[in-house]
Amino acid sequence: MITYLYAVGRDLERVPDVGSGGIAGGALRLVDEAGLQAVVSDVDREAFEDLEAHREDLAWLAEVARAHHGVVEAVGREHAVAPLALATVYLDDDRVRAVLRESRAEFAAVLDRVDGRDEWGVKAYVRPAAARSAAAGRPSSGAAYLRARREALREGDAAIAAAEREADAVDAAVAALAVEARRHPPQDRSLTGRSEQMVLNGAYLVERSATDELRRLVEELARDGSVDLELTGPWVPYSFAGRAS
Amino acid sequence: MADPSENRIEIDKDAVRRDLMKLVLTIVELLRQLMERQAIRRVENSELTEQQEEDLGTALMLLSDAMDELTEQFGLTPADLNLDLGPLGPLLPRDR
Repeated sequence: MITYLYAVGRDLERVPDVGSGGIAGGALRLVDEAGLQAVVSDVDREAFEDLEAHREDLAWLAEVARAHHGVVEAVGREHAVAPLALATVYLDDDRVRAVLRESRAEFAAVLDRVDGRDEWGVKAYVRPAAARSAAAGRPSSGAAYLRARREALREGDAAIAAAEREADAVDAAVAALAVEARRHPPQDRSLTGRSEQMVLNGAYLVERSATDELRRLVEELARDGSVDLELTGPWVPYSFAGRAS
Repeated sequence: MADPSENRIEIDKDAVRRDLMKLVLTIVELLRQLMERQAIRRVENSELTEQQEEDLGTALMLLSDAMDELTEQFGLTPADLNLDLGPLGPLLPRDR
C-alpha cells in the first residue's frame, strides 16, 4: 500500500465527510504536519506504480478522477483547499509529512490565495449565424454559385474573427472583477458536445462576496454581446492551485 | 469436435457497405472542397474566362447537389464525412 494525496488544507479537524470514501473505497485519513493537514488514503501500490499501463483504461481513470474530485470538493465546502494533481502518490505517510514540511510556504501561499474565493468558468461560443446566407436560394448560374460560396467562406472567417475579438473583451471584463484570471485553450467540439466553435475558455478566481456581481456581469455581457456565454461554477480552484504561480 | 462456425466472425453486410460508402464519400467531399477553394481563388485572381467560370461553377454546384443526395441516401450527415485526425484536427473544416 502507498499513500495517495488528495488535498492540503489548514485547520482541518476531521476527515471530510465523503460517503463513498476515497479511491477504491479507501478510508480517508489526515496527516498533520507543520500546521497543514493532508487528506490521504491508502491505495494499491501496483495500480499506481505503473500509471502508463492505465493511461488507456478510461474507466479506471474516470473512477480515480471521480473519487479524487469528490474528496477535494468535500474539503473545499468548509475550508480553503489546495487540491493536488490527480494521482499524486507517496511511498508512505512519512514522505507526505516531509513534503508538507518542505513545501509549507508554497502550500500556505496557495491557501491564502484561494481562501474565501471560488473558481468560475466562462466559456464563449460563436453564435450560429442566422442561416448564414444559406437561405439565399439556389444560385441561378455556375458563376453565381461560386460567388455565393466565396461570400459564405468569407463570412464564416469574419464571424470567427469577430467572435474572437469579443471573447477578448469578455475575458478582460470578467478578469477585472476577478482576483486572478487564466485562459485555458478553447476546447474541441468533441469535448464540448456543441456544434458551435468555442472562442473563450477562461477560469476566474472570484471573491465569494462578489458572486452576485459576477453573475450580473456575465448576464449583461451575454445580453449585449454577439457570442453565447456559459458561466459555470463555483468550482474548487484547480486552475489557481499551481504551486509555482 | 467444435462447430467451426462458432469461430466465424459475424459480419453485418449493411454496416460494412455503409462504412465503405462513408469513407468514399469523405474522400470525394475532401476533393470537392479543395476544388471549390481552388476555383474561388482562380476567380479572385481573374485567371478564368467568363465561360470557364460558368462551367466550373456549374460543375461544382452539381457535384455539391449530388453529394447532398448521396449522404442523405445513406443516412449520413455532413459531420459524418469528417475524419478526426487527432492532433492534426479534423480532415475537413467543420462548417462547409
